[in-house]
Amino acid sequence: MGVVRAFTAGDVVPSLVKHMTQEAINAFEGSSGRSGPSQFTDEETARHTLGTRGTVASGRMSLSFALELLRRYFGADLFNRGGMVDVRFLRPVRPGDTLTFTGHVTGVAQEANGTRVIVEVAATNEQGETTAIGTGHCLVPRGFLPPEEG
Amino acid sequence: MDTRKPLDWEKLAIGQTFEAWSYVLTQEMLDEYRKGVLDAEAPFPTIAHKVDVAAYNRAHKDAGSVNARCAFHCYNPPIPDKRITVHAWIADKYRRRGKTYIVTEAVSVDEDGRLLDRVITHELKQPWEVGKKWG
Repeated sequence: MGVVRAFTAGDVVPSLVKHMTQEAINAFEGSSGRSGPSQFTDEETARHTLGTRGTVASGRMSLSFALELLRRYFGADLFNRGGMVDVRFLRPVRPGDTLTFTGHVTGVAQEANGTRVIVEVAATNEQGETTAIGTGHCLVPRGFLPPEEG
Repeated sequence: MDTRKPLDWEKLAIGQTFEAWSYVLTQEMLDEYRKGVLDAEAPFPTIAHKVDVAAYNRAHKDAGSVNARCAFHCYNPPIPDKRITVHAWIADKYRRRGKTYIVTEAVSVDEDGRLLDRVITHELKQPWEVGKKWG
């Protein structure tokens, strides 16, 4: 069940840390039933297709992490049924990278059924380089807001 | 026999729809996805199926691509062992700094008619640019 609480521009979303491994990348790619080499699972294919020195992680893994960041912040009851994330991928993510996902509330907008909370998200690697940036939002129904905000 | 058409970016029509296709999402797929994203509660294994791009790749062949941007809308988490039907189309295409991109979009609906999610992906169609820039 979601928790009744207020949202204000500037609120900080608790960060999320992910350590990327080739094993995790392989599990992600294999979870759809795909098999065979790809730029994500095979170094030679990555070199041939991308020209990179090795495999990279699918941007959709970072997308999944950004969704997790906001799901934990808003609560699964709310976010899984109306949340969204839109992420741009700025640098490759490779096995061995440690990614930190952060976010903060940039706006709240009143709507007929509640308040839409807008969040900026970013991911940085262990070098402090930004690997992804984006936005997300979630509609928080009146019942999940303090009375004065509902 | 490979009947896919080579991509002709100039002729690719915005709004072109792909043939709807379906698959059964198994508990094993969900478990493996959760293992991959290191999240025991991750609710949308459909992300790893890359359904919008998969639909494109069923119709066209090209030199590969790189995901430049991706948006995901959550409506209802999928339920294991339900059949999911995917409807996908070309949402946009654009050229930026001399490079070409296509934007694919797809919605997934389960066998009970529940809308699950919507995904929109911007793909750079010159994948070797990644290695040139980042090595």
